[in-house]
Amino acid sequence: MPWQTAELMKQLMADYYAQGAEAKEKGIPVAWVTAVSPVEIIYAAGLFPFYPENFGAVASARKLADKFSIVAEAKGYAHDLCAYSRCGIGDAHSQEHPLGEIVKPDLLLCCNTQCGSLSKWFEVAGRFYHAPYFLLDAPQVGMELDELTTRYYVAQLQELIAFLEDYTGKKFDYDRLREVMGYANEACRLWNEILDTAAMKPAPFGFFDACFHMAPIVTWRGTPQAVDYYRKLKQELEERIKNKVYAIENERYKLYFDHIPLWPKMRWFSDICASHHALVAVSQYTHSWAYSFDLDRPLESLAENYTEEFVNRVFEHRIQRKIKLMQKYDVDGFMLFSNRSCKPNAFGLYDKKNIISKLTGLPGVVFEADMSDLRFFSEAHIMAKLEPFFEQLESA
Amino acid sequence: MLQNREEGAGNLNSLEALEILREAAENPARQATQWQEEHGGKVIGFLLSDVPEELIHAAGFLPYAVNAEEGKLEFADAHLQTWACSFSRNALAVALQDKISFLDGLIIPQTCDTTRMLLGIWKHVRPLPLMENYRLPRQVDRPSAGAYLYGELERIKKRLEEFRGKKIEEGALKNSIALYNHNRQLLRQLYGIQVEAPQVLSSKDLFKIIKAAMVMPREKLNQLLRQLFAVLKEEKECFTRASRHQLVISGTLLEPLELLDFINEKGGVVVADDLKNGFRYLEADVAANGDPLEALVQRQLKRMPAAFYEIREKRRAEYLVKLAREKEAGGVIFLHLKFCEPENYDYYDNMQAMEKAGIPAIRIETAYGGIPLGQLQTRVHAFIEMLGGEDAVR
Ligand code: SF4
Ligand code: SF4
Repeated sequence: MPWQTAELMKQLMADYYAQGAEAKEKGIPVAWVTAVSPVEIIYAAGLFPFYPENFGAVASARKLADKFSIVAEAKGYAHDLCAYSRCGIGDAHSQEHPLGEIVKPDLLLCCNTQCGSLSKWFEVAGRFYHAPYFLLDAPQVGMELDELTTRYYVAQLQELIAFLEDYTGKKFDYDRLREVMGYANEACRLWNEILDTAAMKPAPFGFFDACFHMAPIVTWRGTPQAVDYYRKLKQELEERIKNKVYAIENERYKLYFDHIPLWPKMRWFSDICASHHALVAVSQYTHSWAYSFDLDRPLESLAENYTEEFVNRVFEHRIQRKIKLMQKYDVDGFMLFSNRSCKPNAFGLYDKKNIISKLTGLPGVVFEADMSDLRFFSEAHIMAKLEPFFEQLESA
Repeated sequence: MLQNREEGAGNLNSLEALEILREAAENPARQATQWQEEHGGKVIGFLLSDVPEELIHAAGFLPYAVNAEEGKLEFADAHLQTWACSFSRNALAVALQDKISFLDGLIIPQTCDTTRMLLGIWKHVRPLPLMENYRLPRQVDRPSAGAYLYGELERIKKRLEEFRGKKIEEGALKNSIALYNHNRQLLRQLYGIQVEAPQVLSSKDLFKIIKAAMVMPREKLNQLLRQLFAVLKEEKECFTRASRHQLVISGTLLEPLELLDFINEKGGVVVADDLKNGFRYLEADVAANGDPLEALVQRQLKRMPAAFYEIREKRRAEYLVKLAREKEAGGVIFLHLKFCEPENYDYYDNMQAMEKAGIPAIRIETAYGGIPLGQLQTRVHAFIEMLGGEDAVR
């Protein structure tokens, strides 16, 4: 059943892209930012944040990633780089813009808590668009967040603020920062309450719904619009619960999924799961945006939240985190997507699968593909992996 | 070249030194096991690049680069995807084949997403008593980087001290720094001989010596390098500097070393490089006075650019153009280790910069684990011919 909020989503995303164009006209600087970076600072400094990863995801969902990639490859960028960056770089070098031209940056802010692909891509873009580039470096965090890392990150936030003051010629407004962080808190809280409904049996909401409704928590986080959106979504969800409208028919199993969906094949993939009455209930991916900021210690709190992001944690911690999510949602099995685009998430999955199965007794599967690029998609390979997995699940 | 030189300078010492170094590059594990037998000490492995070996050495351990062994890459397949770079697959394969089971520890520098993930896997499949990531800063332009790196080095130092059960004295660290500085200086001198007279020291032998330098007890190494240098220097005088095709090699890692033979064969010589198993290993000394940890910090912050991160004041593409000009290079070979992301992201801009500067450049893709050498040779030869062939050398 289609979501009523889908209309609002369409509107919101159209507004987002319109804002980008408008910012250019009004002379509001456009800052490229990464999905997991303290965008709160960018809003507080009065800039417009643009998320090129979102551009990559949309291009992928519309099956355009291969097209962009071929342009990038012709320039010498290999097809083994992250596909989001290939979309962005491909668009930069293209004459045609089937998605509308990417909003060009006036400056670039990258936080490498997610990966090193983003920082390299942003360097490339900085050179291409002749825009200043600022890296917020997040050292990998072990089992516990260490003081050295937080101190370093806070020092960099201060450097970022000085850099932005210099760039805009305006004093940085900490009150505004607290206001933005407050909105972000509220949106994150609502978003996670929404995600939690996937634990209900049967559930009105699952991972594929989350992928659809995720864009505002990424792109509008820190604004009242995001809060409003998730309030409405939550209301709609409550209606659905009352009316017994569920995510899939006859839910029998719940699954954990790692982590980005196969954007161009999402429908196909979700149908396969649904046909086995399995609801993909949870993924670390959609749970990335679970920030809880302390407004009394804004910079420290930004540092803690952004460096503790799951991708930035060590192997053992990431296993624990997956298991915790599996337990919280009481899943019956797990699927790990070895995503060619995303080395920091894919490397280690083979061993993680064995370890998690051993620790939890749950059946698991690892399959190979690319989140964007259909040239690395093999239905036969995926089915050969999934079929025995579902058999195992059903015979358990 | 050296093989046919017996009756030339005829200094047995230098030939022996070279033989020992070659042998160390080809059979690196022996260096470690022998040292263990003689000293009963611990061997700490590390991956390239930029690991502060001086700290490991000052703790009384033997720093050992996991770089020269050849593994069967398939051994890593159950743990690391085949689309990981062959350097990391090789390193893990070598461990899984138990070719480096003498290691007591391992330090992996986080230069990319692959190295960020590798230690966790390694810990699981081949646990060692000491396993640490070296979380080097991925920006060096702002003051925060230095303060952070100081803390990170302190952390690693403390970890080594715990492992050793004793503090690392400042004096010991200063001695290690001096030893390594001397070591790098000698290696740079040998590099210089290779540039001026590859008939005396071939490019391949030079890079083999660098490989050996990463695994040998450094005291012994310095002795050998000194002997070798003394003789080669004299021998070099017998040759007038021939005109050659002067080339710069840029990339992550040089592999396979046969590439250097293909260059020498056609009258080419490597005048500069920025490879992790090449000049980057010899390039940066550490200040001998003051706080040694701070000196290590400063060395790291001021290193030559690499693909790990962009340096605002020293952009890699511009740096490479300048380097090629300074060294009067006729061409640049970009060696791209397949699946090495950081390197690949830089390639287009590097290439553009060369084109703008009018410096001929080529990209060659390589990998660990055996690649068809015939093809490689053809490409290298064709590039050198394009630069003017054997006869028209500058
Ligand atoms: S998909 Fe992975 S590699 Fe690509 S930008 Fe996201 S975290 Fe980085
Ligand atoms: S060769 Fe490249 S991808 Fe491989 S470990 Fe080194 S920097 Fe990373």
